[in-house]
Amino acid sequence: MTTSTPTAGDGERLTPDVVRDVRFTHGTMLHPGYTDTEVDAFVDRVSSELDRLTLENAQLREQLHRLEQQLAAAANRPSPSDQAVGILATAQLTADQYVAEAEAFSRQMTSEARLHYEEQLSRAREKAGAIIQAAQEAGVRISSGRSTPEVSAQPATEDLEEQVAYLRAFGQACRTQLRSYLEALLADVETEWGRAHPAALPEPPRGGRVPRQLRAAQASFHSNEAADDVAEQQPRTGVPAGTGSTATT
Amino acid sequence: MDIPAMRANFAKAAAHGDQVPLWFYSHLFLSHPETRELFPVSMAHQRDRLFAALGQVVARVDDLDTLVPILQQLGRDHRKFGTVAAHYPAVGASLLATLEHFDDEWDDALAASWAEAYELIAQVMVKAADESTDQPPWWDAEVVDHDRRTLDVAVLKLAPRTPVEYLPGQALSVETELRPRLWRWYSPANAPRPDGMLELHVKARDGGPVSSALVRQVQKGDAVRLGPPVGHLALDTGSERDLLLVAGGTGLAPVKAIIDQVARQGPPRRVDLFVGSRTEDAFYDRADLRRLAQELPWLTVTLAVSHDKTSSLEHGDIGDVVLRHGPWANRDAYVAGNPATVEDTVTRLHHHGLPMGRIRTEVFAASRPSPTVDGKVTE
Repeated sequence: MTTSTPTAGDGERLTPDVVRDVRFTHGTMLHPGYTDTEVDAFVDRVSSELDRLTLENAQLREQLHRLEQQLAAAANRPSPSDQAVGILATAQLTADQYVAEAEAFSRQMTSEARLHYEEQLSRAREKAGAIIQAAQEAGVRISSGRSTPEVSAQPATEDLEEQVAYLRAFGQACRTQLRSYLEALLADVETEWGRAHPAALPEPPRGGRVPRQLRAAQASFHSNEAADDVAEQQPRTGVPAGTGSTATT
Repeated sequence: MDIPAMRANFAKAAAHGDQVPLWFYSHLFLSHPETRELFPVSMAHQRDRLFAALGQVVARVDDLDTLVPILQQLGRDHRKFGTVAAHYPAVGASLLATLEHFDDEWDDALAASWAEAYELIAQVMVKAADESTDQPPWWDAEVVDHDRRTLDVAVLKLAPRTPVEYLPGQALSVETELRPRLWRWYSPANAPRPDGMLELHVKARDGGPVSSALVRQVQKGDAVRLGPPVGHLALDTGSERDLLLVAGGTGLAPVKAIIDQVARQGPPRRVDLFVGSRTEDAFYDRADLRRLAQELPWLTVTLAVSHDKTSSLEHGDIGDVVLRHGPWANRDAYVAGNPATVEDTVTRLHHHGLPMGRIRTEVFAASRPSPTVDGKVTE
């Protein structure tokens, strides 16, 4: 018997090679053939190995079947019922509709707001244009029209003269206010800002004038009164400050 | 692959209109719930797009020379939506289920044809997406300046975290955190700069979820995402002709990028820019145009209004105004603006003697979150 003895320990796995290479020792003259015990032991080994393999085979077959089923289930997974698809489709449509309604609402609001804005703007422009034109016409008529006073134009001319006089006064008032406002600014600038942060001032390139300009910003708080007066008069008369000064010149 | 049978089957499904993509997406989301988050809340526009795209594919399935580039572009562009290769089989399964659902005569042969066709489509798209991995799927950018110029228009300055490569005149898709999964196309108003900064001109469309958010809600410091560039307005670098640039509304952005490119790279040439608007107030970038006209001796800028009687600017439709300043027959023309403006201007220029091959256009239309064959840009 060779190294791979048929009676080798049970721990060693029986492989096809072992079976192929098995060699039994020959018996004695009294017992010709292979040695019985060796053959019996080998048959035992083969049968137990076959048992084991049969069992394993059955287990594997079962496992394969289980896996095949899982695979089929996985392949069939994207088969939600028509009913489920229908329910989700309805829910999606409802959501889409809400979003669309919100967008439509926003569209309507913004376009209305824009229309309103443009309308206001063009109205304001027209008004301003009309006022300027009226003032210019009035100016022309007053300077040239006095020599040929027509009966129908008489009250209008008087009206306009009154307006022009008012505008002149208004312009004058604006100028005075502006001037005093600016002067107040400059005075404040010199007293407050410069004194508080002398170090922060850059090198004055033009003597004493620079600090006055630099400090102009803060002083506005102190001179709001003058500014308010101007602002208040404008709406009352409806005459922009610019027109006032045109009329006086 | 039995193409006539597939076309007949698709026609049957298409006859059911919106029901078909609705069924498809519901099927997809039920069988693969993880795909739902790749889409916006409202699926209405998405449904239109899916079947428009499928229709294109079916129509051109026997013209691979045209179809393949479209699919490649689609594949590349889907990266920014967060689409990965694993999503393709899921979509294919639901697509087949949908086509089966709407066809009583569905059989195994048809199923095999569609499976084969879809496999091809997916392969081309996935391959194109994989091959463009030298580019990120999208670029993260920060809004570093937001300047509301008029009631409806804002100019945004964006700083991408890594530089975005694009050609001046091209458009990038933009997504804001405020409107997730909604992408819109905008053209940068500058050529690529060393610091990578981009300037976008955005007009809020009434009820437009993205444009309104970009104009009225986005603030300095907010994050946006940018998708890969597309577009046909890129400057023809093979030509050294003088340029005629015509822009309506925020169509100014891409032509300004072209001016920027001529200024940076040359070759030196005359450039005449015409910008049209309804009213004078609507010119949102006048200061910068004035600066450009002063700094660049080869540039003239002409502004024209079509509906503003009080304006001292030139009056008339921009195409008309352009022709008054001609002749332009020797120029290369680039025209960008709303569809009516572009069409009118192109027609006039063509009658004027400019060959169509030398007129390039970009139409700024309502939102177009995914590329079409002609790549529309958002106004």
